[in-house]
Amino acid sequence: MTVSEFAEKSGFAVFCRGEDRAVESGYCGDFLSNIISRAPDSCCWLTVMNNVNVAAVATLIDCACIVLCEGTEPDEAFYKKAQELKLWVLGANENVFEACKKVVKLCNV
Amino acid sequence: MQCIRLEYDVDGENFSSAGNASESVKRTLKQMGVAPGSVRRVAIAMYEGEINMVIHAHGGKAVVEIYPERVDIYLKDSGPGIENIELAMKAGYSTATESIRSLGFGAGMGLPNMKKYSDEMRIDSTVGVGTTVFLRVNFE
Repeated sequence: MTVSEFAEKSGFAVFCRGEDRAVESGYCGDFLSNIISRAPDSCCWLTVMNNVNVAAVATLIDCACIVLCEGTEPDEAFYKKAQELKLWVLGANENVFEACKKVVKLCNV
Repeated sequence: MQCIRLEYDVDGENFSSAGNASESVKRTLKQMGVAPGSVRRVAIAMYEGEINMVIHAHGGKAVVEIYPERVDIYLKDSGPGIENIELAMKAGYSTATESIRSLGFGAGMGLPNMKKYSDEMRIDSTVGVGTTVFLRVNFE
């Protein structure tokens, strides 16, 4: 499933739109070095971390989209960087576990 | 041998620009048609080094040399130096402060990740003088 389809079907907020591409896997985490070394390519990355470095790391790991969970919204610096890097940033009110279940169900990963 | 040499000043006070140098290298390698796996390894190893310079050393200088078959990265800072390199290389060991941890760093994975994603790594460090890290990534 593509990120735009996933965004629509999940009902998650869309903070930032990037290039449309397929979600091929998932990864949950907030410690950036763990994410850098372990997150698979083209994943949907679920986190509660909200700062500009999340955008830099998302580019490095080449994830399909970021899902900010538990009602987290990107701050201004994060939003600006995400736009500049053309990243998908979505927002879920659910906690990481519940949001993750939606990714699994909708994207079949 | 001819190589492309890129130089970056890593701003030590600015967390929002941290990663700009590795992002630029990543873009350059991509444009040159380097295999995605190699691009990723270079970008990750360098990003971790860049972040370390911001967190621990008030910034520094990054020099990147791109050869047809590999990339050499030199990260040089005038920070406090590393007292015990062996300990610093241990996964999970970190001297980062609470405020750094709240940004998602300080998991003690920076140096181990640099080692994991490079083919050669050397650390020269003198306490009170600074640290130079050399990283070599061979293309697939």
